[in-house]
This record gives sequence, C-alpha cells and structure tokens, in this order.
Amino acid sequence: MADLEYLGLTRPQKALRRLAAFLTGLPGRLGRGLLGLLRALGRLARGAWHELRDLALTFMEGDWKTRTSFFIMGFGSIARGQVMRGLLFLLFQAVFLLYMLFFGGAYLAKWGTLGDVETTRQGRVTVYGDNSFLILLYGVLTLFFVLAFLYTWRVNVRQNRISQRLQQAGKPLKTAREDVAALADSQFHKTLLALPTLGIFLFTIVPIVFMVLVAFTNYDYNHQPPGKLFTWVGLSNFRTMLSAGSANYGSTFSQVLLWTLIWAFFATFLNYFLGMMVAIMINKKGIRLKKLWRTILVMTIAIPQFVSLLYVSKMFAADGLINSYLMKWGWISEALPFWTNPTWARVTIIVINIWIGIPYLMLIATGILMNIPADLYESARIDGANAVQMYGKITLPYMLFVTGPYLLTSFIGNINNFNVIFLLSGGGPMSMELGGNAGYTDLLITWLYKMTVNNTDYKMAAVIGIIVFVVTALINVVVYNMIPSVKHEEDFQ
Amino acid sequence: MAKRDAIPEVETYIDHQAGVIREVQPPAPRSKKAAERRANRAIYTALVIISVVWLAPFLFLVLQSFRSYLTEDGGMVSYLVPKAFSLDNYRFLFEDGRYLRWYTNTLTIALFVSVLQTGMVLSVSYVLSRMRFRGRRFIMNMILVLGMFPGFLTLIALYFLLKQFGLTQEGAIPGLILIYVASSGMGYYISKGFFDTIPKSLDESARIDGATRFYVFRRIIMPLSKPIVIYTILMGFMAPWGDYVFASYVAFGKSDSYNVAVGLYRWVNTLDFQGYFTRFCAGGVLVAIPITILFFLLQRYYVEGVTGGAVKG
Amino acid sequence: MRKIFALVLSLALALSLFGAVAQAEGFSGEVKIWVADAMVDLTHAKVEEFKAANPQYAGLTALIEAVGEGDSATNMITDVEGGADIFAFAQDQLARLVAAGALVELSEENAALVAEQNDAGSVAAVTLGGLVYAYPMTSDNGYFLNYDKSVITDPSTLEGVLAQAEAAGKSVYFEINSGWYQTAFFFGTGATVTYDVDDAGNLVKANINYASPEGLAALKGMIALAKSPAFVNGSSADNATNYAAIVVGTWARETLSKAFGDNYAATKLPTFEVDGTAYQLSGFGGFKMLGVKPQVDEAKLAACDALALYLTGEEVQAARFEQSGWGPSNLNVQQSEAVKADFVLSALAEQLQHTMGQGQYPGDYWSTATGLGDDVIAGKLNDLTDEQLMERLTQFQDILIGLANPQ
Repeated sequence: MADLEYLGLTRPQKALRRLAAFLTGLPGRLGRGLLGLLRALGRLARGAWHELRDLALTFMEGDWKTRTSFFIMGFGSIARGQVMRGLLFLLFQAVFLLYMLFFGGAYLAKWGTLGDVETTRQGRVTVYGDNSFLILLYGVLTLFFVLAFLYTWRVNVRQNRISQRLQQAGKPLKTAREDVAALADSQFHKTLLALPTLGIFLFTIVPIVFMVLVAFTNYDYNHQPPGKLFTWVGLSNFRTMLSAGSANYGSTFSQVLLWTLIWAFFATFLNYFLGMMVAIMINKKGIRLKKLWRTILVMTIAIPQFVSLLYVSKMFAADGLINSYLMKWGWISEALPFWTNPTWARVTIIVINIWIGIPYLMLIATGILMNIPADLYESARIDGANAVQMYGKITLPYMLFVTGPYLLTSFIGNINNFNVIFLLSGGGPMSMELGGNAGYTDLLITWLYKMTVNNTDYKMAAVIGIIVFVVTALINVVVYNMIPSVKHEEDFQ
Repeated sequence: MAKRDAIPEVETYIDHQAGVIREVQPPAPRSKKAAERRANRAIYTALVIISVVWLAPFLFLVLQSFRSYLTEDGGMVSYLVPKAFSLDNYRFLFEDGRYLRWYTNTLTIALFVSVLQTGMVLSVSYVLSRMRFRGRRFIMNMILVLGMFPGFLTLIALYFLLKQFGLTQEGAIPGLILIYVASSGMGYYISKGFFDTIPKSLDESARIDGATRFYVFRRIIMPLSKPIVIYTILMGFMAPWGDYVFASYVAFGKSDSYNVAVGLYRWVNTLDFQGYFTRFCAGGVLVAIPITILFFLLQRYYVEGVTGGAVKG
Repeated sequence: MRKIFALVLSLALALSLFGAVAQAEGFSGEVKIWVADAMVDLTHAKVEEFKAANPQYAGLTALIEAVGEGDSATNMITDVEGGADIFAFAQDQLARLVAAGALVELSEENAALVAEQNDAGSVAAVTLGGLVYAYPMTSDNGYFLNYDKSVITDPSTLEGVLAQAEAAGKSVYFEINSGWYQTAFFFGTGATVTYDVDDAGNLVKANINYASPEGLAALKGMIALAKSPAFVNGSSADNATNYAAIVVGTWARETLSKAFGDNYAATKLPTFEVDGTAYQLSGFGGFKMLGVKPQVDEAKLAACDALALYLTGEEVQAARFEQSGWGPSNLNVQQSEAVKADFVLSALAEQLQHTMGQGQYPGDYWSTATGLGDDVIAGKLNDLTDEQLMERLTQFQDILIGLANPQ
C-alpha cells in the first residue's frame, strides 16, 4: 500500500490496517524466528566443533607445561611465572574436586532416579533414605558448578596456548600487578559484575531451574520428602493441566488467567491515566501548595503495604468501618458485599489499587511533564488549541513515548502482583464454579502460592509457574519490540 | 478562538520612578479569567477530596492505635474515635520484648540491604550503561527473562539453599539480607537509565587523560550520581519492611527471627492472638513513622530517580 | 545351691538389663517444641517440672517457640527436618502430617495410656489406620453459640436469634463459608461427609450423601441464614463488631467476656427450620493434640515420648484449663468440679452431644466448602429452584468424591 493512501485513512482505519499488517506479518516473523533459532543452533554446533579442534591443537602443539595444565589447572601459569593466576586456577580446581567428592557428586549421581533408598523404620526409630528434594536441588547446583568448572578449565587451557605463543614470540607475560591493574580498568566490568552474577546464579537461576524441573516430577502430597521419594514423570503434569476433566483445572486456569490479564490491564492503565491526570492537576499553573498535595499522595508509598493494605482490607469487610458507618448513617440497610460478591471484590481491588498506584504515576508524570518543552504548548496555544486538544496531541503522545518501557514492566509486575491480592482479599471469594482452590480474585501467582502452601501440590504449581512465564514472555516479545525507545537504546544516550 | 485582526489601542502611562513610558496591560477577557478560576476551583475540590481519601486510612490507623486494649477493646469495633485516648498499645509494644526484637531485626536488615544492595545495583547498572563488552546484550536479555518467572515459586528452593548455609531460623537475619542483596543486581533498570543521561564525553575525555575505568567510576560518575545513589539506598531501606511471605519462610517458626511484617501479620491473622488489632495498628504506626520521615526528607531524590528510570526504562 | 546360683544370676542379668534400659532412657540435648503463644510460659514451667521429676532427662534443653496449632502443620510439612520435635496441632491436620512423614506413631504402652486416660472421641481423633499418632491435649475444638443475654433472651432457634439480634440492630456471626462451621447445617439434617484413610495417611474413599433431601434442607437453611440482614459471615470474635451472637469455640472466650461483659452466655447451637421441619444444628467436635516427629536417635525419641506424654497428662491439662480455659480431653480433669462448673465448657459439652467427631479431610475439601459457602453468601443460590439446588449439591458431592485418592 502506498504511503499516501495510508495517510489518507482515518484513525480507526489506520489502526485496523496496522493490526492487519501485524497479523499478516506474524507467520513471517515466526518463520524468521524459527530460522533464527536454527541458525543459532548451527552456530552453536560450529562453535563446539571449533572449541574441540582448538583443544586438540592446544594439546598437540603444547609443551609439557601446557599439557600438564590439562590435568592440573594453573600448572602452566605457575611454571611460566604467573604464580597468582596459576594458584587461583589450582585453588578453584581443588575446591571443585572437594565439593564433588564430599557434597555434589553423590547428589548428581542419583539425579537419574532422584533417589531410590526408601525411608524405613527400625522399631520406632526412623532411618532416612534418599531425599529427592535435596537430590534435585543440589543436583542443579552441582550441575552449574560443573559447567562453571568446565568453563574455567577451558579458560585455563586457552591461557596456556596464548602464553606459550607469547613466550615463543619472545614477548613478556603479564605480571600479577598488571593483572590486578587490569581489573580496575580494561576488565573493570568483570570486577563489578562478579558478585552480582554469582548472586543471581545462586539465588535466582538455580532455584528457577529447580522449579522448572519440578514440573516434570510427581512431587506432591503423596510424594513428600524426606519420608517419601518422588521421581521423574515426563510431561504428565502438563497433560493434567490441559485436560478439562480432572479437578476442573483447565477451565479454572483460563478463568484465573483471564482475570489476571484484566487485573493487570486496569492496574496498569487506569493508574497510568489517573496518575497522569492528578499530576496535570497539581502541576497546572496557578494551583498552589503543589508540594503539599504531592506529599499527601506519597504517603501510600512511604507506608509499608502490609500495614496499609491489611488495614484497608479490614475497613472494607462486611463488618468493617465503611459498612458500619454507612449503616449508622442510614445510607444502606445491608452491608455492601465488598469481599463476598465476585464482581464487587474485583472492582474493590482495582479501586484500592488506584489508591496505591496513583502516587507512583503522579511522581513519574510530574518529572516528565516538567521535561516537555514549554514552547510546544505555547505554539499550540497560539494555534488555538484548547486544554483537551493539547493533552491529546502533546502531553499524551510524549508521555506514552517516554514511558513505554515503564508501562510494559509495570504490566508484567502487575501480572505478578502478589502483595495486593494476598493482603486484600486472599484470592476470595471462592466458588464451586472454580476448581483447584482458586478464588475469583486469585491471580495466577496467588493461586500457585495457595497450591504449594495449602495443598503441597508443587508439581502443579510448577506447571502454572511455567505457564505464567510463557504468558509474560509472549507479551514481552510482542510489545517490547514495538516500543520505540527500546529499539533505539543507543540513540537515546 | 478568533485571531485579533486589528492592533489594539494601547494605553500608556509614565513611570516616573523608572523614567520610562510603559504600556498599561490590557485586562484579559473577563470570560477567560472566570473560566480559569472555575477550572482551578474544580481542581482544588478534586485535590481536597483526593487528599481526604488518601489520608483517611492512615488517620483511622492512628486513631485506632490509641484505643486501649486493656480498658476498651483490642479487637475491631464499629466506631472510629476511641472512647478514651490511651497509650496502652504503645506501652505494650515497648514493654513486651517481641516487638522491639522484630523491629531491630527489620532495621538491621534494612540498613544492611540498603548499603549492600546499592553497591550491587550501581555496579551492574554502571557496567551496562557505560561499558561495551561481549555478552552485554546477553546479560540484559537474561535478566529480562529471569524477571518474568514468578519468583514465589522458588521460595522453597531458596529456603533449602539458605538452610544449607545455616541461614534459616536462628540465622534468618543474615539469610534474608543475603537473599535480598544477592539478586538485587537484576533491578538495574532505573539507575542504568540515570547513568545513560550522564554525557559519555565526560568519561571519554578522562580516559584520554589516562584515567582508569575505576577512577572514572569513583571520581567522575559517582559525584554526579547523588540522586540515584540516594534513590537506591532509599528503595533498599524500604523494601525489607514489607516482606511477609519470604521472611516468614526463612524464620520458620523462630519468633526471635521475625521481621515486623511477619510478627504483626500473625497478630491479626492467627487465632492464637485475640484482641491484638489495636496493637497491630500501633505497631504499624511505629513502622510507618521512620520510613515516612525518611521518605519525605529524600522525596526530591526519589522523584528524580524514578523519573529518570521510567523515562529510560 | 545351684538353684540359688541360677536365681542370683538371673537377678543380676535382670538388674543389668534394667540398668541398660535406664541408661538408654536418659537423654540430654535440645528438644524443639512448638505450642500456641498463650502456652509458651506454661510449657516452660511444665518442662522444668518434668525434668525435676525425671532426673535422667535433667540435661534436656527445651527450645519452645510460639507456633500455634493453625501454623505448625504447614511449617512442619515445609521442612520436617528443621521443624519441631514436639508440636501442637489441630486434628484436621493429622492425615496431612502423617502423609508428609512428620509424625511417628506412639509406642504401644503410650498408646494404651492415651486410650485409657482420654475421652473416646479424642482417642479416635489421634488414630489413623489402627495406629495412634499423637497425644490428645484438648477436647474443645468445637463450636457452640456464644451470645449476649441482654439481647438474645431465647437462644433456642436460629430464626429467633436472628430476629432478636435484628430487632436490636446487632449482628449474628456464623462462618458458613468454612468447611468446618458449614457442617453444622449438613450434619444437622442428617447429611454426612467422611473420608476413609489408609495407614499412610491417604484419603482413599469418600462417604457422602449431600445430594439428598437432607443435604437440600441444610443448604436451604444456609441460604435462609445468609438472607437475614443480621447475618455476618465470620468466626473471629476479634474482628467482629456490634454483634449479639457468634458461633465460635472456646478460644474466643476472653475476647467475648470482654465484649459482652456480664451478659456473656453460651449454650448449644440453636435449631433451624426448613419447610416446617426443625433441625438441631450439629457440626464437628474436634481436638488439639501434641505430636512427635520421627527421630533417628532412639534416646531422643524416648525423651520426646515421655515429655509429650507428660505435657498432655492430667496435671498439665488441668493447668491449661486453669490458665486459659482450654477444655481437657483427660477424663479425670473433665470430671473435676471446676471444669464442670465452667459455663463455656458446659455449652461445648452440650453441643458435643449433637456433633460428629471430626475425621480427616483433603485440603481441597475446605476450599470446595468455602466455594459453596461463598456462593451462598454472594446470593448466587437465592433464586434457584430445589432441582437447581440439588444440581449444585450433586456437583459439590462429585467434587468431594473426586478428592479421594484410591491407591
């Protein structure tokens, strides 16, 4: 379609056209994505082949120092005078071997079955057998340690090759002092990232991988360590989730998912627009006491949610303050069903969330509004634009442009907004129309929390966790790449 | 709005003091001024209503914290203003060792987390903003992907990891600090956004003069980053006060290791505790006070930080 | 001579054996105990008495934590190894704890002692598949009507209670969205739900007849209750406001005596009327108990057994009653004058005549019942015909049957 033709269309037509273009482009994009994946796999295979060849060459062309380093890490470095480096390599190897010998090895060895020694009783004394949970968890930990070791070993070998070549060329090797100095300069990113990376690996990646693996086991009420074993079951949990029959999981799941998305939508966009409105009101010329208004609103950020939300939740209860006073004043004769009627509960939660959310948005919008060049408004005013038009043509587009990424992260954040639901309604009210312990205000995340705490149903919780991940990832992939300010990260700087 | 096609006649007067001839400003059209005033009045009304709605729950909370659990009613009642103002609830909090213990626990956690987390966050965001190296994109994508996984699921795994290090129950306080800090590097977005706004030419000229990266970080970037440092410290300090689920997992029934959220939550949601509602309110007020003060003192930085971060993503 | 020698020898053998046993009985080390907050001080005192009376356990250190009956099971199941050695819990958690391997069965002697000293209901409540898994501690985990006698003068019928409360502008609390309180209606009309439990703590079969005329009458009773303007769903006396009556158990007595003052009265649950027939509200009679978790050290296990037995014995149960009014399961304590004279426990005892001992229920029973109750409260069932209500009951029953897990 010609550009001119497109420009001639009305707004809704344009939107439709863009949507159609997006949809028709989707197969192509998916295809390209698939191709990209294949290409990446190809690259990976080539890379692996390259690495292996390089390893073989290093060994064959290497001197005795290099060759010994294949077995005793850091030997070459020490022999070539880079004592500090070598010792570090050696230390790492020693730690790894000790770890495998006294801790990790045993767990990894049982990974295939997740343990086969049952817990037994001798008289009334318990003799504990294998603990499937710990085998799985420490197995994951050990696996990552093995990968880290392989990587370090590879680095150690490569260093030997480089050093050997440098020495053959008669060039000096780096001294320990130079190594340390590099860490504050050319290798500064490694220094800064070392601890955060370790932390993220140990306390984010390992647990996540563990939980993903749980989805493929039968870890539930009937298979709880340390008394009992659990084991791999393949994809059967996913089948249970998708089959409509058992325990109503399928239909409940779609219900909960739908509400999660509705909630995330309102919690994000309603707050966004209302927060912006409040910011515009406060920042309007001629409004006094700007600081006071802002300060009052910001109270909800300053006070921990477990205090404010728990309190507000009780305020809205059937016998809470709000109903009591409304009845005392004779405005209502029966308590308003804030938490007992599904629709009321959902609306109440969204409204209370406005109370929490507006202040953040107000602050953000205030900062951004101040950044909008004043001459834009000035020229608009000269052209005779009124307040609404200026808002639609200048304020909103500008805001949307700069806060695109924020909107996305906050949407994702709201999908996983545990606190608000947990503290306000606890997921209720429930209904026989929903299965698996879910209530009408349950988000996927509060639902799976209940599943683990009340029902010890870790396998299903893990399945739902994976699905939540897939949903958010999809939203991210679709939306993230459409945000202009992300595409042009470098331009922005 | 019609454009004025004729040049309006301008009245003038002589300003004797300044010795110049000045124009008399023509009065703005009456209707416009009235509309303006009406709009402002509407806005003021809206703002007053909003303020009332926003402040009411806190006012209620404070009011109820003054209702004595001894002489009046420690549970929930259908009236707001206590029949007699009393400090019994606060007295209880100070005399009963538990609350003070929980409070110090949380304060300890908050102080450590605010400092350590700031170190982590600034490291990651500085590197991702300022340095270009192999794997940078990969790290950013990885963090994005990890952030999409519902973290609550990993609670139990984290619990057993911590337990392996002896950091649950008695060791819950260092354990919680470790957990909060360990993955905090993932929250680099906002401070990276801030660093992105500092012109790169600054570091480049310093580098040409032979400064190391470390020097640039310490001497050039950090002094310019006061708002974001304070913002990060503030965030790190505030977050631990509200954590219930994880803190209760790690403390695992060891009441000396609770933070205030766990302790107070149990007061209102466990059958063991009857008539603790007003004490919960008082406890909540005591938690809110330092955070509120701190927040108001540092509000400016918060706004700068959160604005910069949102703009840059 | 030979005989005497043999006698001396066997005597010596017996003595040495006895000595060995006595030695094995001794234990010093830490024992972790979880009890409700209100019982922490009392338990400390009683453990000291226990140590004084049993010198072989003088080296025992009790680490007592305030983890209430409601929380302990969840915690124990999360991490059995890190959990308490002796812990208090409510009986509905028994199967869950057994399934999680968090309870060790009692020795035969102790089981016999428990059966001898406690009331039959409590003994049944700690028994699973022929094995006794815990030490009964209270026999008061049931509910009855607590009311303000200045407002409610006639607590005999539910309709009357509601009308009197409404006339006074006050509320009546009844937590019908809880699977625990809801059974007051169902069991009252003659509907039942129980689960068969196998030795491993699995619930293998559901016995239920909710989809029946009895179930229908019960459901209609609940709907009628929910329609009353005086009705509020809930059982937390602590959170309740402006109420004239509340269906709750003994643990709320302190709050209630404060709220009602001298007008505090308690009695069995009232009757309710559906389609011209009056039914007595029934419900669960429940118990609290102490459990010992599986131990790898024989000496420690023996110490835990002895301590748990002591902490649930006559003397300590009496002390619990004196301190906090917890209703004893021990027969002797039940017979004491003080207990008999207690009007709250009398009301409970009176109601217990009309209740069923609480068995084991799957976790989803509670949430399904909450679903039904929430539907009633939300008014979703208000305008349904009997046939439609019966459909709901059938659905409910099918879900509950589906929760059983045949092995």
